[in-house]
Amino acid sequence: MQVTLEHVTHTYQPGSPFQATAIRNVNLTIRSGEFLALIGHTGCGKSTLAQHINGLLKPTEGRVLLDGQDIHQKGFNKKEVRQKVGLVFQYPEHQLFEETVAKDVGFGPKNLGLPEGEIAQRVQEALDKVGLSLPGLAEKSPFELSGGQMRRVAMAGVLAMRPEILVLDEPAAGLDPQSREDMLQLISSLHRQGTTVVMISHSMDDVARFASRAVVMEHGTVVMEGAPEEIFRHPEELERMGLDVPSVCKLGMRLRAMGIECPQDIFREEQAELALLSLWKGGAGHGAE
Amino acid sequence: MALNDITLGQYYPADSVVHRLDPRVKIVLLIVLIVAIFVAGNLLAYAPVIAFLALVTYLSKVPVKMMVKGIKPLRFILILTFVLNLFFLQGETPLLNLGFAVITKEALITAVHYSLRLVLLVMISSLLTLTTPPIVLTDGLERLLSPLRVIHFPAHEMAMMMSIALRFIPTLLEEADKIMKAQTARGADFESGNLIARAKAMVPLLVPLFVSAFRRAGDLAMAMEARCYHGGEGRTRLRVLKCERRDYIACAAVAALLALVILCGKVY
Repeated sequence: MQVTLEHVTHTYQPGSPFQATAIRNVNLTIRSGEFLALIGHTGCGKSTLAQHINGLLKPTEGRVLLDGQDIHQKGFNKKEVRQKVGLVFQYPEHQLFEETVAKDVGFGPKNLGLPEGEIAQRVQEALDKVGLSLPGLAEKSPFELSGGQMRRVAMAGVLAMRPEILVLDEPAAGLDPQSREDMLQLISSLHRQGTTVVMISHSMDDVARFASRAVVMEHGTVVMEGAPEEIFRHPEELERMGLDVPSVCKLGMRLRAMGIECPQDIFREEQAELALLSLWKGGAGHGAE
Repeated sequence: MALNDITLGQYYPADSVVHRLDPRVKIVLLIVLIVAIFVAGNLLAYAPVIAFLALVTYLSKVPVKMMVKGIKPLRFILILTFVLNLFFLQGETPLLNLGFAVITKEALITAVHYSLRLVLLVMISSLLTLTTPPIVLTDGLERLLSPLRVIHFPAHEMAMMMSIALRFIPTLLEEADKIMKAQTARGADFESGNLIARAKAMVPLLVPLFVSAFRRAGDLAMAMEARCYHGGEGRTRLRVLKCERRDYIACAAVAALLALVILCGKVY
């Protein structure tokens, strides 16, 4: 399944003194099975773009196509889009409302009109996926849980709809290191199981680690697009936009500035490890001579 | 989205004489104008009020469209007022006999009178909120009410509560919009169904909204205390209110208007 944005422009409150264009003429295709990272400075239109992918916002101009069909055309079933494209907002734990965890996770499937048995099954499955299958937890109030657990419940609420595309708006923001790592591992494993992932992130380390493709936005337009390796080859450009490169890239740059030879394309920790190891061995070899 | 359509209490930013008037003066003048509208004994007496409203609207640079938008939510009450007065008031000079009811001249005049009064009241009040930022408005209100402190009226606390409430309206609207979107993304439907279904559909919106409002309130109280807030005593202000020439002119103009309205009512 594929979502295509064609010349999408979105203006908030058009015609009022508060009119603001958040995204301008964006063309983007989300390919089936990819892990797409959406990066950009705060206020560059990432979240607005994300809300177009499942039809929450209607483009002021342009079209959003789901497998070639315009999702805003008359007679198109919006619920189908909402089911196929799961959107996890920033701080999704703020949207919990039910008495029990199970009921909250079941809210989506219930809205899809599924029978009770099916709902229960999906709730269990979603809670298992997010690692919250502890006995008794499903009957607890979501407000009794810890922050990280609440976020996972909210995530399960979206997964229970069995989306084919998962759009995540800064899923790891505000979590402690352990929960953060758990969340990223969860997203990564969902991706390996075949879910298409679109992730908004400010952490270039995460982008380098997980994304198969990255899109950089600035002032509501797409300014760079490509594999993370290609994007991070332009550190000056990124810095000008108030963005960053992965920390291992910075390490490489510093080493090169110090005159130590070090390969250019290092973006992930494993690559850095290997490079540093060979440097160290090389260095040790020199010392022995 | 429907959440953005609230005009009453919405500030229209512009640079005009009306915007620059002292908020205390504006509040007092609004009260006088409301009195003037109620004092107006006949339709003729409304003429100066309407002329004045038109003049102030022109001076304020607020688009007429914004003013009219403020009346929209009142349209049903307006129609009801008009129709009820028209059909059920007994008068002496019949104009039209519809069989089931007789419309009289007196009834027609009263119907127009009351509807006009309602429209003018709303328009004049919204002119105040359109030209005065809410924070300035509460500032003015606090100063006006501060003499009541002698009878232990908590003027400062009232004003602070109002400022905070006003300050958080856009925040809460934004929050509500976000939660609504998040639930819509999970297939929630806020728009269709009968009254009961719709009321039920509000639960997924209202529970998170309340939770976050309480969380915000707690955070805000903490942040205020951390900055040594301890009530109104001994607090100095950032904007010191001062009456200037334009304020006196405005007062004189409204006084003249009130006199004119009373005069019109007497003469007719």
